[in-house]
Amino acid sequence: MKPHSLLAAVLFSALLSASALAAVAVGDAAPDFSVSDSNGKAQGLSEYRGKTVVLEWNNPGCPFVQKHYRSGNIPRQQAAATKDGVVWLTINSGAAGKQGHLDAGAAKAFVAKYQAAPSAYLLDADGKVGKLYGARTTPHLFVIDAQGVLRYMGGIDSIASTDEADLLKAKQYVPQALAELKSGRPVSVPTSEPYGCSVKYGS
Amino acid sequence: MKRCLVLVGFALALPGPASAAASGEKASSGHVRAELVAETTALVAGQRNWVGLRLAHQPHWHTYWINPGDSGLPTKLTWRLPATVTAGEIAWPAPRRFEVGGLFNFGYGGDVVLLIPLDVAGAAKPGARVELVADARWLVCREECVPGKATVKLKLPVAARASPDPRTRKLFAAAHAAQPVASSWSGQAHLAGDRIEVTLSGENLPPAESLDVFVVQRQVVAYARSQIVAGDGGVNLTFAKSEYLTGAPVALDLIVIDGRPPEAHARSVTVPFAASAAAADPPSANP
Repeated sequence: MKPHSLLAAVLFSALLSASALAAVAVGDAAPDFSVSDSNGKAQGLSEYRGKTVVLEWNNPGCPFVQKHYRSGNIPRQQAAATKDGVVWLTINSGAAGKQGHLDAGAAKAFVAKYQAAPSAYLLDADGKVGKLYGARTTPHLFVIDAQGVLRYMGGIDSIASTDEADLLKAKQYVPQALAELKSGRPVSVPTSEPYGCSVKYGS
Repeated sequence: MKRCLVLVGFALALPGPASAAASGEKASSGHVRAELVAETTALVAGQRNWVGLRLAHQPHWHTYWINPGDSGLPTKLTWRLPATVTAGEIAWPAPRRFEVGGLFNFGYGGDVVLLIPLDVAGAAKPGARVELVADARWLVCREECVPGKATVKLKLPVAARASPDPRTRKLFAAAHAAQPVASSWSGQAHLAGDRIEVTLSGENLPPAESLDVFVVQRQVVAYARSQIVAGDGGVNLTFAKSEYLTGAPVALDLIVIDGRPPEAHARSVTVPFAASAAAADPPSANP
């Protein structure tokens, strides 16, 4: 590498690290975090070592999220996963004052309204967990195996739309990844580009 | 009620072509108004005709390019046409960049026309009137997002010759000017560690500092603005790699925008993606 291109690379890396979002990669250890849930309990990834964990970014005001809740798609996936011993953490990184930001009571009401079944609803209003994972859309899904290694990140399914009718044709990536992990197979679709609303981070 | 008043005010404030052949029914679905517009007073068989989906956005709201960036959805059209008429794909105007909270989107605000080429079969009889119907779907966002849809319609005669419709002349002049022009530049792209490097060379390359570059393909580059510097006989672009890159594409389609609206010029260039160098950037191999 020539000196000037090295300099450019260093400058560019500095530029990148100044951007808001970190990057995680499938196959790497998923970063730990600590954040309160809607019951005021601290939730972290490390306490679930030995269990498969799903992280789901949520904004109840986002039409993409509404598609997957009104249709029952995400609540059904949550119920099936948690019944199977998977820990499902729904995370709201919407900053106070932004669309979809929820306090603890509103988060509980949201879960009740849609008969959702996450293991916990995490309140990440300062966006720390979201930025740690590079969460950029709602929904945005991550699957972490029992050893704490990231095995899937990306969209909820294969058809980017707000139309419930597309659910009939779409491949649901999280149940697929969970089934493959359970049977010891490699995850066949480890990444897909996430689609949805942007996560409403504060400045 | 407040929202209704805002919408009414918005509709009245918009200058638009008079309701006649040039413009179909307007459909407002909140924050953006859609209508089908025609460049000419008639459709001519055996030649290319242009129509457009006009999207008039409320201030601060935008819809999306074919690659929407970190979030969002491209606008989609599903046509219902007589057998003699065939619609092509949307000829996407050069996009603008929108940043919200460290995330990047590509699309359009203001009053924009998405051009669509229409081919009319030679069998279409002059004098016949054809009805063009399209189901348009879009996502319109400020920071929050609202999905919208509308059925837009336009009736036009088939004629042996057509002249530009004076009511849409300005709209189409702007729409054609916003089309990226194919450039004669050449270049190549390759993966270098966590970056994607692109070199461009050729005649009349604008200075690096006035450029912004957009990649049509998704899941290749991250969507933050690329670093653009003058290189040996050309311009070097450095993008961060997308976290969602799974396989190198055969080629990258780039939209290179020189200057700022309304003086911006957009060019397109396709560069091969050197898959063989995908695992490269080995400083140790070149001490």
